[in-house]
Amino acid sequence: MIKEGHFGFMEAFSVMAIVLVTKIFYGSPMALIKYLGTAAWYGTLISLVGALVFFTLLYLLMKRFPQEDLFQIFETVTGKIIGKALILTFGVFLIYKAGINLREFTAVLKVYSMPFTPPSMIMLPFLIVVAVMAYVGLEGIVRVAHIFFYLVFGALVLIILLAIPSYDFNYLQPILGYGLGKTVQTGLIRVAAYDEIVLLAIIIRSLQGLQVFKKIGYLTLILGGLTFSVCLICILAAFQYTVGGEHLSGMYQLSRAIYFTRFFQRIESIFLFVWVISSVITVSFIFYISLNAYSRVFNISNHRPLILPFIFLTFMAAFIPNNFAEIMEIHLRVLREFSSVIFIFIPVMVLGLALLRGKKGVETSGKA
Amino acid sequence: MGKLKKITTLMAICLICLGLTGCYDAIEIDEEVYTLAIGVDKGVNNVIRVTFQYATYKEDSGGGMGGGDEESGEVSGTIVSTVEAASLLEAINIMNSAVNRQVSLMHAKMLVLSEDFAREGVGKYIEPLTRFREVRELMRIVVCKGKAQDFIKENKALIGSNPSKALELMFEQSKNSGYFPDVIFADFYVDLLTPYGQPVAAYAGVNDFKQLDEGSENEEPPLKTEADIEPGDIPRTGGAKREIFGLVVFDGDRMVGTLSQYETRFFLMGIGEFQRGFFTFIDENEPELIYVIEVQLGRKPSISARMENEVPVIGLKLKLDIDIISIQSRRHYENLDNIDEFESKLQAYFEQGIKDTIKKTQEEYNADIFHFGKKVAGNFKTIQELEDYNWIGHYQEAEINVSVSVDARRSGFIYGATPIRSTESKKGVEADQ
Repeated sequence: MIKEGHFGFMEAFSVMAIVLVTKIFYGSPMALIKYLGTAAWYGTLISLVGALVFFTLLYLLMKRFPQEDLFQIFETVTGKIIGKALILTFGVFLIYKAGINLREFTAVLKVYSMPFTPPSMIMLPFLIVVAVMAYVGLEGIVRVAHIFFYLVFGALVLIILLAIPSYDFNYLQPILGYGLGKTVQTGLIRVAAYDEIVLLAIIIRSLQGLQVFKKIGYLTLILGGLTFSVCLICILAAFQYTVGGEHLSGMYQLSRAIYFTRFFQRIESIFLFVWVISSVITVSFIFYISLNAYSRVFNISNHRPLILPFIFLTFMAAFIPNNFAEIMEIHLRVLREFSSVIFIFIPVMVLGLALLRGKKGVETSGKA
Repeated sequence: MGKLKKITTLMAICLICLGLTGCYDAIEIDEEVYTLAIGVDKGVNNVIRVTFQYATYKEDSGGGMGGGDEESGEVSGTIVSTVEAASLLEAINIMNSAVNRQVSLMHAKMLVLSEDFAREGVGKYIEPLTRFREVRELMRIVVCKGKAQDFIKENKALIGSNPSKALELMFEQSKNSGYFPDVIFADFYVDLLTPYGQPVAAYAGVNDFKQLDEGSENEEPPLKTEADIEPGDIPRTGGAKREIFGLVVFDGDRMVGTLSQYETRFFLMGIGEFQRGFFTFIDENEPELIYVIEVQLGRKPSISARMENEVPVIGLKLKLDIDIISIQSRRHYENLDNIDEFESKLQAYFEQGIKDTIKKTQEEYNADIFHFGKKVAGNFKTIQELEDYNWIGHYQEAEINVSVSVDARRSGFIYGATPIRSTESKKGVEADQ
């Protein structure tokens, strides 16, 4: 098994918070506003409630097997072969997720900032950083995340505050958006937007116990949900549901709208900095977990020789979409609406199976 | 090689690679030429005639400040070039074949649309700019009488040597007078698509400096405190010929009318964007004299909306703070004995002015430029209900009640002016009492 080291509450909290929140910089607000209109800001809170329920189930599963991480639980509950198949499914999906996230980053960066740079020239340096971070390992990734956590959230808060003159909260009306039914339905489907929280269960053995796992899970979900909701309120208040549903990156547009006299404007470069850092951390973390999954399946104790092949796979995955329409309408929908089939359904199914079969892990005291 | 060395080498490679990504998009500042103003007119041999005004990076262009070389299009530190093309953005490419640098819109401060174009619909010309990465959201929108090309030719920076700064400061003057709105591109685009209201743009024109009548010396000039003037007709000489005065009302993307400079002030008060401005009134006690006040919004307007038998009833409450700037008669309107009456006269004036402006937008244009729709939207539960109702189509049916409260806060440096003494001073003393 790969040695992943141990880290504290803030490190794990930071990495999970960044992984959850990075989506707000890209097309997520646009998609949500398009589906839910003026109700987008609380539609995401409905998703949050769904995610909290899921995390409670995940916590119950982890509590049942206190000495094991999620992958080990898969094997314990479903047996070696199915367990490994489930882990491999996670691994493959995570590589796909890393690739699509990278492609979304590249596509949006090309639109807003680097129109003439070939996508591969944006992706390759990005992937080299990802490879270095994966080489250093999980502990390195979470410590980097901790350092940049304050910067990422600080910059986000700064942009939201500086754009205050652009807001008119009357534009949050009609309050029910396209109807309560649609809001609840979409909110529940988009629980997937928060399903990366399952990754916390994979790195649980690096945390300081189940209680820390529980605390980090709930807090990051709440922080992520509130961040999403506040950002959506700001985008709606500034651009209304009509234009808010058009912008590729609502938050970037918000940063471009900041204007305080002739001397204080064009501060979107702050946003670009935050955007790149949070994307690098997110892709690195997801990439590392996929490496971890593969190593587990094939009992590889050193993940480092796998880094280059996996980088290549991520690079390939990033090129699956042909154009921006495919990224938005196929791949991001898969990631943000249907990924719950893997990230939520499988752990819940395993919990159900464990309860049915009466399987339990080894207690700290040594009892089975 | 030690472990640490390996990691350091890898990280160094990463950093170098990161730097490389910028190479494709790297551009030196002087490799580009920055457009300051874009003008859009109807073409003759092609659909669109686009005028670009761009900076020359010279302290003083060939023609000197205010002057210019007609053929090269040099206008006070800038060059004005016009090109015909099938689209606005292709016009940039065509311009590049003549200009020895890449034409960039990154610092464009103003988009000028000719009135002819605005009346036909500007949506198709705004659309490409909303998608284009170079266009700044903070660019101002202006509709001009006559040709945009002529307007831009007269866009001279006569004060200071920085044409870009001059343009930005020109729009800042909206705050000092309220005679025109400062409309940015992002807001204009949002207003084009919104179901809550309709867009406006600043109204501009070119003054030929022939509006100042010489008249006869013996003739007593009439006292006009409210003369509605169109841009280009301001009685003045000297300075830049271009001027912005009033606003243009749109219904969707088509211009349907204008508001005069005073109506523009009432409009800006109604939407809470009026910063300050002087108002001149005839002194009823001495009709040959005037008094001047400076008006500021006391607080943001309060708007309420409800539906009564399917008719929207809107309430607009305004609070204005008044500074008395001048009382030619030296009467003590600021005194406690007179202030209530003084305030109620002003209150009636502003209330009527705002009502008339709203009425004009309802009856003549049916265009909710006040965006009362954002409050009306609160009466609908869903977006479908709001869009089915189509507020902007029902605007003229709305009953809109305006209530203004006026507080005369200060009276300048003087409180209780002493009358001017002369051999007829008794008259002044009487007036004082």
